[in-house]
Amino acid sequence: MHLLAWRPFLDPMDVQSIWFVLLIPTAFFLSMAYRGVRLHKLDRYWLAVLAMTIQIIAAIVGLGAAFYALIEWFLPVIVPMKPL
Amino acid sequence: MASSPKQSDSLSGGVDVLAGLLALVFPGAGHFIRRERLRGVYIALGVLGLFLTGLLLGGIDAVDSREDRLWFLGQAFVGPVAFAVDWTHQSQFKAYDPGDLADPPPTGLRPRSAYPGELRERTNTSAGDVWVWRPNAEAPTAEPPSRKGLAKVNELAALITTLAGMLNFIAIVDALLPGRVVGRG
Repeated sequence: MHLLAWRPFLDPMDVQSIWFVLLIPTAFFLSMAYRGVRLHKLDRYWLAVLAMTIQIIAAIVGLGAAFYALIEWFLPVIVPMKPL
Repeated sequence: MASSPKQSDSLSGGVDVLAGLLALVFPGAGHFIRRERLRGVYIALGVLGLFLTGLLLGGIDAVDSREDRLWFLGQAFVGPVAFAVDWTHQSQFKAYDPGDLADPPPTGLRPRSAYPGELRERTNTSAGDVWVWRPNAEAPTAEPPSRKGLAKVNELAALITTLAGMLNFIAIVDALLPGRVVGRG
């Protein structure tokens, strides 16, 4: 798909190669809505939103790194593949 | 046993049916009507921002009650906005093959080709009255009504729009049961 032909809200965005960047707006808006409901007082709202956004991104990146290590390093050690 | 301050605070608000209904109609409206206006605005921005991000990412195909019914169950909690997007998708943009629809099609739905420069039309043939395709002579290079999302983009768009619905569900419950648990959240 060419960017020039893209029609916002009708056609999907061409972001197959950078899909992981979408974690940032997702985490931000998610934090906005959740902190809007859960905070008792809103005087430190934006700070709480920023903190939760960073927590979500760090947690997802950490999970990704952990699964990468599990699949690429740990599993080959405990269950070595036999040569065909 | 005496209840803790947290528990008694969370249970003391009763049920605010009007706020709950308004929160269902439009994200944040339940809190807005309860004079928690800034909170309502934040909830609306968060829920609708998430929903629109998903829609921008996956296109209108991200909301599809016929093809992705389970996802739509979550998206529906965004409220009439989600139903309006779905109706617009089904009746104005979604491409249907004749075999996909009952004959005659449900009101507002008609066979529509996903391919540029192609039309569906009802034609009387030897096999009876059937839908056939013909080249769109008026606009041979016309764009398709909309494009389907594929792979990760489609999955993420469905996930993000459904997340918006799930978050609004939390906001609806919070508007319905106004007692707020004191804490950092």
